[in-house]
Amino acid sequence: MDLLKRWAARQFTTRVIVLMPVAIAINIVLGATVQQALKLPIYLDSIGTILVGVLAGPLAGALTGILANLIWGYLLPAPIGTSTIGPFFITAGVIGLLAGIWGQLGLFRPRRGGRASILAASIAVVLVGALALYTYARAYASPDQFVNITGFKTTDFDRSRIFFLAVMVVYVVLVGVALYLRRDVGAVLAIGAGLVTGIVAAIVSAPIAAIVYGGVTGSGTDALVAAFRAGGDSLYQATLKQGLLSDPMDKMITSFVVFFVIGSLSRRFVARFPNGEKAIGANTEAEIGANAASPG
Amino acid sequence: MTIAPPARLEGLPEYVTRRPGGFYRSTNPSTKLAIAALEVVAAFLVPGWPGPIAVLAAVLVTAAAARRLRGLATIGLAASPIVGSILIINLFLLPGASDPIVRLGPLAPTWTGLWFGLQTVARLYAFSAAIALVYLTTEIDDLLADLARRGLGRRAVFVVGAAVQMVPRTIERAAEIVDAQRARGMDTEGRFWRRARGVVPLAAPVVFGALTEVEERTIALEARAFSAPGRQTLLRVPPDRVADRALRWAAVLALVAIVGLRIAGRFG
Repeated sequence: MDLLKRWAARQFTTRVIVLMPVAIAINIVLGATVQQALKLPIYLDSIGTILVGVLAGPLAGALTGILANLIWGYLLPAPIGTSTIGPFFITAGVIGLLAGIWGQLGLFRPRRGGRASILAASIAVVLVGALALYTYARAYASPDQFVNITGFKTTDFDRSRIFFLAVMVVYVVLVGVALYLRRDVGAVLAIGAGLVTGIVAAIVSAPIAAIVYGGVTGSGTDALVAAFRAGGDSLYQATLKQGLLSDPMDKMITSFVVFFVIGSLSRRFVARFPNGEKAIGANTEAEIGANAASPG
Repeated sequence: MTIAPPARLEGLPEYVTRRPGGFYRSTNPSTKLAIAALEVVAAFLVPGWPGPIAVLAAVLVTAAAARRLRGLATIGLAASPIVGSILIINLFLLPGASDPIVRLGPLAPTWTGLWFGLQTVARLYAFSAAIALVYLTTEIDDLLADLARRGLGRRAVFVVGAAVQMVPRTIERAAEIVDAQRARGMDTEGRFWRRARGVVPLAAPVVFGALTEVEERTIALEARAFSAPGRQTLLRVPPDRVADRALRWAAVLALVAIVGLRIAGRFG
């Protein structure tokens, strides 16, 4: 019990307490812009939550997510505040919790390496791709097989196949950008963590969207829900499928952004957070030389 | 742990000692929270029309008496896109509905869909209005001070208070950055892809600007003994009268009763 208390207290240093409102404001401002102004079928409202989770730990991350949604939903005046977002505080909490776990595992650490490690990462990506392709080939070999494996209906076959491909394409594009433009192997892990977070987030938020709003949330994702219901799905199935398309993409993009935000902050700043050292990693000799040569 | 109010009020500036006035506005913030919780639970757990209609009526009457109808109307308007979506989707696409109002080629709006949509909208409005009335009639500082008196830690008070203040400031700063980037020739009104290209030059300064402030704020808070142990003295404590307390307990009991009746299946 004492250990648990100390573990919790360690996550809430003054620095984290100051970071949390900043993270909440980033969530709300970026989220409101993307959902209400741009009307894209993604959310981008968990950058702050994942940032706090990675830098401070699971409890701080979960609390940031929960508070962000509650404040956004119920404390801010009308044009920004929308009560539709409030009930999703459960999802936001789960996202922060997962981000904290990924942070403690060191998945958001930059791993800038030489050619050897990029080669190794490329091989790993090819292996993951092969595994995904194998799954794809098994699950989508024929409609009958698809029904056997997933439990969905035959009518979902084509759409589900397109989803799978769309999510894989986003994954490959983000990984490609990270590997070839930034030469950073760590991004592969961070984006993978985002994919897992997204799938969990979709499963958690589908019942909320279905029960509280009849599947409609007033953002760009409504078009998807409408399309599925037109295809004869139940409300719950439609919101789950919408989530399984939007959430993994959204969380992969968010994790990618957070990964680069942490990489762009000064090491001194990041290292002072409870999990900071796990987010910056050890300096290689070459990097120490490069840092000394170019201050800032 | 309760936090002691200051022993002497004389000599304090007027903005500290001024009490909130007016119907419902002077009610204790925690009492208003309890009433809002009761209304939200009633709107969702009482089946059919009585739940949302009763809650909406109660909220509207209270808002009118407290002269806050205009604020509620703004919030109602802000919810109109989602209300439109709910109505259209349920009207045309409610699975299992087979009593068309009229046939328009492939489109067949149904009565069941219309009623289901209207009921969802009524619930949504009841739920949003109940919560909106709390913040329309309460200063955030009063709410936080009242919760602090009831044992909410100063860290939680700081996080919520700072976040609420920071959102409008971040939006202001974002607007300044948009202006600055436009002055440098960025296109913010063109086609989708041209606008999308502007996301990074807009979002990056907002995010990094906010994060660099963290360091300074941490030092400022520590210099003011933020993490020092011991009690704090609250300057401004909202009153908690007998009527407030009675109302609060009544709301909590009614809430428990509704949840109990719903679990027991007494609503039919």
